Amino acid sequence: MPEIQEDDDLVFHKICTLLDPLNHKGVKLTRDTDLIADLEVDSVSVLDIVMDIEDNYDISIPVNTISEIRTIGELVDAIHAIKKQQA
Amino acid sequence: MSLFDKFEKTATLYNQLSDAGQNPFTVQMDQMLGPTRAMVNGQEIVLAGTNNYLGLTFRSETVEAAKTAIAEQGTGTTGSRFANGTYAGHRQLERELADFLGLAYCVVFSTGYQANLGAISALAAPGKDVILIDADCHACIYDGCQLSGAETVRFRHNSPDDLDKRLSRLAGDGKGKLVCIEGMYSMFGDVAPVGEFVEVAHRHGAYIFVDEAHSFGCFGDNGRGVAERDEVMKDVDFYSGTFSKSLVSIGGFVASNHKELDYLRFSARPYMFTASPSPANVAAATAALKVIRRESGLQKRLWANAKRVHAAFTQLGLETCAPVSPVIAVKLPNKETAFAAWNFLIQNGVYVNLAIPPGTPNATSILRLSVSAAHTDEDLDIVISAYTAMAQAFAGAPEAAE
Repeated sequence: MPEIQEDDDLVFHKICTLLDPLNHKGVKLTRDTDLIADLEVDSVSVLDIVMDIEDNYDISIPVNTISEIRTIGELVDAIHAIKKQQA
Repeated sequence: MSLFDKFEKTATLYNQLSDAGQNPFTVQMDQMLGPTRAMVNGQEIVLAGTNNYLGLTFRSETVEAAKTAIAEQGTGTTGSRFANGTYAGHRQLERELADFLGLAYCVVFSTGYQANLGAISALAAPGKDVILIDADCHACIYDGCQLSGAETVRFRHNSPDDLDKRLSRLAGDGKGKLVCIEGMYSMFGDVAPVGEFVEVAHRHGAYIFVDEAHSFGCFGDNGRGVAERDEVMKDVDFYSGTFSKSLVSIGGFVASNHKELDYLRFSARPYMFTASPSPANVAAATAALKVIRRESGLQKRLWANAKRVHAAFTQLGLETCAPVSPVIAVKLPNKETAFAAWNFLIQNGVYVNLAIPPGTPNATSILRLSVSAAHTDEDLDIVISAYTAMAQAFAGAPEAAE
């Protein structure tokens, strides 16, 4: 069971690590990076990354939550909210 | 801001295909010559990408049944199942499908897509239930989840262990659970361990929904699908299928031993708010089901053909996506090569399906071939010789970075 006290930065870095193999254009990843517009990651790949995140934090992230997420920052915030809720 | 801006990227990809050759997504069958042959652009083509697994589209039994139904009941029902669109034929087909599957109840929908859309969206409710779906499930299952509004969690493709883990995470949330899988997956032709999934789902108190659209008629001693092969027919909570593959018509169904299945008739919007399948469609599916029950040789012929093609492709050094099954997908290094190979095949008289990301799992580009029991030895000679030439022509294709 992962530590719940991981701060914002660590979740952000974890997501960047997971996105790295899909960052073919070498875009600099920030909270404002748009997953689909900037990284050109297709929607299925985003869902695949979400499964890795679920396993990493041992949480459930419903697909419904993801459909509203555009940027890395929004994804980080959603994970924090779910971790808190499912803790 | 134009409404059309969002289409730009996909439109560019689509137009590139037309510029570089024949567009696989705009092929027109000018004339059907039989279950495995058509005229396309003045050329006779062997059809090897059709889902006509048992090849019954031109069988006299199905054709005559459809003709008689039109003569006796008219061309369309002009109404939904919920209103004026339920005829004796719809109910009879429901009983015959239930009897064939050994399940108590069955509901017929207007398409396979709507069967899944209707059942899943009605069975799960937002805030009350969670749907767990195999990551590679068909679009209609995803759409059913979305229409339901229920929380949806994906699990890793064909992994009962991963489902187990994800169900464990949700334990104690007090919500109803619906697990959705398919028997055979349409793109790669890989087959689910349905028996293992049933065990995991039921151990967690979840219901299991199995879409056997592609496997109905093709798997199991009697053609009931992968659930029959795994000897779990009676344990499947919801079994869905389509008329548009082995039943050579158009329509779909969901069958179950739960008597509550009938609730779909007043709660599944894709059942209530669309016209019911036409008399001809119902009659053709009913007739095809009779043929399937009578002729076990069809399934044997299908598998013999599948084995022959799979062995030939393996010998050619082509990378197939799964062990032998009625769908034989060949992986190509990237979408450009796959597209060129698809064009090469149609020029050599063979139609297959091109599938490229994001329509495929793991961003793979494939040529998807589906075998039919109606393929003659000569049909398959043409297919194999076209693939042999294709393998040679594209053997040195560069592995471009995707």
